[in-house]
Amino acid sequence: MFSIFRLFKFTFQDIARNFSLSFMTVFILILMLLSVNTLWSVDILTKEAVQVVKDQINVSLYFVSDANPKDVENIRKYVQMFPEVVDVTLRSKEEVLNSFEASYQINKDVLSALDELGNNPFGPTMIIKTKEPQDYKKVIDALNVPEYAGLIEARSFDNHESALDRLQNITNRVEGLGWGLAALFAFISFLIIFNTIRVAIYTHRTEISIKRLVGASSWFIRGPYILESIIFTIISIVVNFGLVFLALYYLDPYLAVVFPDGFTLTNYYKSHILLLFGLQTLAVLLLTVVSSLMAMRKQLKV
Amino acid sequence: MIKLHGVSKIYSNDTVALRDLNLHIDAGEFVSIVGQSGTGKTTLIKLLIAEERPTRGKIEIGDWDISNIGSREIPFLRRQIGIVFQDFKLLPKKTVYENTAFALEVAGEETRRIHTVVPQVLEIVGLHGKVNRYPYQLSGGEQQRVAIARALVHRPKIIVADEPTGNLDSINTEEIVNILKKINEFGTTVLLVTHNREIVNHLRRRVITMQNSEIVGDEIEGKYRL
Repeated sequence: MFSIFRLFKFTFQDIARNFSLSFMTVFILILMLLSVNTLWSVDILTKEAVQVVKDQINVSLYFVSDANPKDVENIRKYVQMFPEVVDVTLRSKEEVLNSFEASYQINKDVLSALDELGNNPFGPTMIIKTKEPQDYKKVIDALNVPEYAGLIEARSFDNHESALDRLQNITNRVEGLGWGLAALFAFISFLIIFNTIRVAIYTHRTEISIKRLVGASSWFIRGPYILESIIFTIISIVVNFGLVFLALYYLDPYLAVVFPDGFTLTNYYKSHILLLFGLQTLAVLLLTVVSSLMAMRKQLKV
Repeated sequence: MIKLHGVSKIYSNDTVALRDLNLHIDAGEFVSIVGQSGTGKTTLIKLLIAEERPTRGKIEIGDWDISNIGSREIPFLRRQIGIVFQDFKLLPKKTVYENTAFALEVAGEETRRIHTVVPQVLEIVGLHGKVNRYPYQLSGGEQQRVAIARALVHRPKIIVADEPTGNLDSINTEEIVNILKKINEFGTTVLLVTHNREIVNHLRRRVITMQNSEIVGDEIEGKYRL
């Protein structure tokens, strides 16, 4: 009975003839989505920054200069067996020496002192990376046994321990604060959108009652408002993502300075576009359609 | 056509709007319902279009008992009754043509038929030259004529007009009454709720007088006697 053509006709007529109200509703939706994406981006950047710092942390084991290569190799195999360990790099005595010489090339005094020794004073170095900073303690404790006491001359982890604790603390707090802000913001957005749509429907209350009085069924009246909500959602999502990508285009060069490993928010958004697009579309659609239906319920009782 | 058997309407605060109404209106009649404000005239209209339900009694339109009509059936009832209000109740964002066509569109009428019928009805009410105007661009009399066109467009068997001339001057009042008479001549039952003594006396048709929520007079060729 109620043709699709009439549904679209009434919907587009409503949007065009109530342009200022339609514009304001879409504008509020875009503002809400931009705020959500800003919060989302801040969360991503925080996590990425923490990851960058975590990546720079490792444990270096400095072996004695006369360490038996076979014993060192055994330790390497032992360390690799830990599920928390993601990478173990072993640098031989010679590599350590070459690296030292390269870094002190401009300091001739240091190099001549090294020459005077006549032999390579460095032992092999093992660089260990774990999944999480707190895993280092477990690895170090496992190596802190009398059997290896004569082999390991020094380890660098002790210097990082307090820094790691602080970092973990900050990460947890930022994450907690982020979720708190996100929840608060989602609630405020919900109230704003819900009331914007309620006001929009309220301004149509006379019209809705007239439609009822001339014999329009509830769905004949609801249809255009629901389609309007869907159209507003699509427009706001598309405009929002357009603006987000435009903002990222200008923001990414600055991020490249902070994140030298090539991380960009544009890449993040592109690789997560389906999730971001889907989640936000679904949330806004639910919000607008449910708000419309709830606001109309009272007006349809004529 | 319209039958009321012992109909009462009592609101939740014990206000009695209608008390034990018994009424029988035949097809093709032109009936004026008169009475002072607050005597239940508008409540009676609201019962006939199922905007309100009777507290007691039975209301029949044709063979249809609408006393306890379901909300899904209400649109079908309203498509069979043309309603004209004192405040016109036009859709402000729709043109004259669209306001009139809307009554057919809600009933799922074919577009081709709408394009044929609407201009004909607008011709009858004398608005064929103003089809693209919005309500705010029309005079009160013209707006009421649009409302009549909308009520008439799906060829209802009953037209209910609740104080249709209440907001109009004497010239427009006469025009509206003439249109209603013309509609009645086509065989449509007309129920006219009015305060206007001159109209009632001039019509010389059936007059139902209401007082204190009851029917106190029912004359075949009556006059305004309040």
